[in-house]
Amino acid sequence: MNNNDTGMTLIVKTITRISVWIIILYGIYIVLHGHLTPGGGFGGGVIIALALLNVLLAYGRDFTADWLNPKFLHGLEAASVSAFLIMGILGILVGGAFLGNFISHGQLFHLVSAGTIPVLNIVIGIKVAMALFLVIWVLSALELKEGEEV
Amino acid sequence: MTIYLLCFALFLVGLYGILTKRDLVKIILSLTIMGYSANLFFILFAYRSQALYPILSEGAEMAPMVDPLPQALVLTSIVIELGTTALLVALAVRLYQKYKTFDITKIRRLSG
Repeated sequence: MNNNDTGMTLIVKTITRISVWIIILYGIYIVLHGHLTPGGGFGGGVIIALALLNVLLAYGRDFTADWLNPKFLHGLEAASVSAFLIMGILGILVGGAFLGNFISHGQLFHLVSAGTIPVLNIVIGIKVAMALFLVIWVLSALELKEGEEV
Repeated sequence: MTIYLLCFALFLVGLYGILTKRDLVKIILSLTIMGYSANLFFILFAYRSQALYPILSEGAEMAPMVDPLPQALVLTSIVIELGTTALLVALAVRLYQKYKTFDITKIRRLSG
């Protein structure tokens, strides 16, 4: 498992370079349309995390660490939890209950509508994407060295 | 009714794997299969024939919908399964680092 850091072959790297952005775009679409279609923050977040996992598999840990900066991702994950909490407490202050709505409802079936639900969907999407990717990131740091059976 | 029994058969496949396999990775896979069969049971329970997904869409008239409550439950269940699976995989990797094997019959020492 020592060549784990160098990544895969040139073919895989080239295809990944193109496909990652399409997958991330699809994930963002699912997150943004969470209040109109099936899907939402969790599903879109999982799709974004899998796109980042593609980069990790194709390019290896070193390149991904340079490109994505996992410490920043960890901060983003924690910040999204705080953002959710702030939205909830703003709901108490303005809307009357935890996670109460305090933005205008907008027009039904439009992209900008449904009050705070799209905002919360985006926050959950960031949280799920970062958390899932960081779980895989931490697991990939553990080395599996072949050795004699004890 | 048949479909519930098939779902139960999937559960039994997972149970068989947990009880008979010796490889830790196969045991974790069997555990997830058991979880998936439980999720599938919930979703099948909520299913109504000729019904739509429980989301209002533009221009659609009111129609029978499947029950949304088990779907919400299953979403939570999937998240928790993800967490437990990550924990199990991490434990399996630590065990491999210690004992150099995934075979549970060879993992005997308590310390040292």
